[in-house]
Amino acid sequence: MALLNVPHLWHSLPLAELEVGKQFYWHLGNFNLHGQVFLVSWFVIGLLLIAAVLGGRSAQMVPAGFQNFMEYALEFIRDLAKNQIGEKDYRPWVPFVGTLFLFIFVSNWLGALVPWKLVRLPAGELAAPTSDINTTIALALLTSLAYFYAGFSKKGLGYFGNYVQPVAFMLPFKIIEDFTKPLSLSFRLFGNILADELVVGVLVLLVPLFIPLPVMALGLFTSAIQALIFATLAAAYIGEAMEDHGEGHEEH
Amino acid sequence: MMHWTILLAVEEAGEKGGLFDIDATMPLMAIQFLILVVLLNVLFYKPLGKVLDDRSAYIRNNQADAQERLSKAENLAKQYEQDLNNTRRQAQAVIAEAEAEAQKIAAAKLAEAQQEAQLQREQTQQELDRQKQEAMQSLEQQVDSLSRQILDKLLGVAS
Repeated sequence: MALLNVPHLWHSLPLAELEVGKQFYWHLGNFNLHGQVFLVSWFVIGLLLIAAVLGGRSAQMVPAGFQNFMEYALEFIRDLAKNQIGEKDYRPWVPFVGTLFLFIFVSNWLGALVPWKLVRLPAGELAAPTSDINTTIALALLTSLAYFYAGFSKKGLGYFGNYVQPVAFMLPFKIIEDFTKPLSLSFRLFGNILADELVVGVLVLLVPLFIPLPVMALGLFTSAIQALIFATLAAAYIGEAMEDHGEGHEEH
Repeated sequence: MMHWTILLAVEEAGEKGGLFDIDATMPLMAIQFLILVVLLNVLFYKPLGKVLDDRSAYIRNNQADAQERLSKAENLAKQYEQDLNNTRRQAQAVIAEAEAEAQKIAAAKLAEAQQEAQLQREQTQQELDRQKQEAMQSLEQQVDSLSRQILDKLLGVAS
């Protein structure tokens, strides 16, 4: 009998409810959209744009106030891109890599820090956009396109030479790599963020007070690391595509 | 009971949605992300990047400038030091020269004065000699007349 009561207990506590795989559908013509993902991603984009405008609006030689913070962020991103792509070619890729990092980072942290549960949707629930597979696949495919574009724009058709470096024997593996790269990128991010939210959700379900806090802190850490990993790997792939022949290739 | 609810949930998810429900969200999200890249490039990366580059260029220029000025100042200081040393040496030389000259002049004056004194003494001596001679001569003349007078007196008395 005690077991029977458990579901009722769950439904009586709105904060302790787990919904996995339920989407808040929008319909656009024949297409389905995940509304909750777009709502939160617009929030994230809005936040990023506001921060960018505040930080870059009256950019001065001697930074003041919020400009300091945004400059710190920009220098971090530049260092990241420079380390992976190299001093010579990194500049055009700073916006792409940096936006990857900022978007994923802000998404992850907002998903963990903002009490989205307070907003009720007809179906599904608001969460980090990166906990939806569509978002991560979109970002990963863009990364693939970016490194192909980088390779072709740098070397033209000579980019295919990369596939037989350092030995022709590597060709099948290199081709497989082109598929595994976006796959691993998207699933790593998606899995980490979703798992983090689920673990926190399950723990809150079991013990609503205090106990989930360390896991939440760990979740914040993981979220930051995932954003860093995604941006770093994207930059590394781009750098690898533009790498000159005869140099050592990184293994991932 | 619990298993049953979970099964139900899975079935429900199977109808529509689910974790791996890939639909038009994906391309739209990609487009949205690209727009974000462009917007952030205009609003954030370009202006702030320009400020960063300008600042580092400014600092580099200023540093080079300051370095140059520092070395210039050091050179100037060295030159001043050298000039000062030269001037001091010159001053010492001038002083030594002046002292030597003064000594020479003093010696010359002294010699001159001594010579003059000698000369005067000699003159005086000559004068004295001359006057003595004169006096002797006049005395000799007077000796004659006096002796004649004495003779006269004596002879006169006698006669």
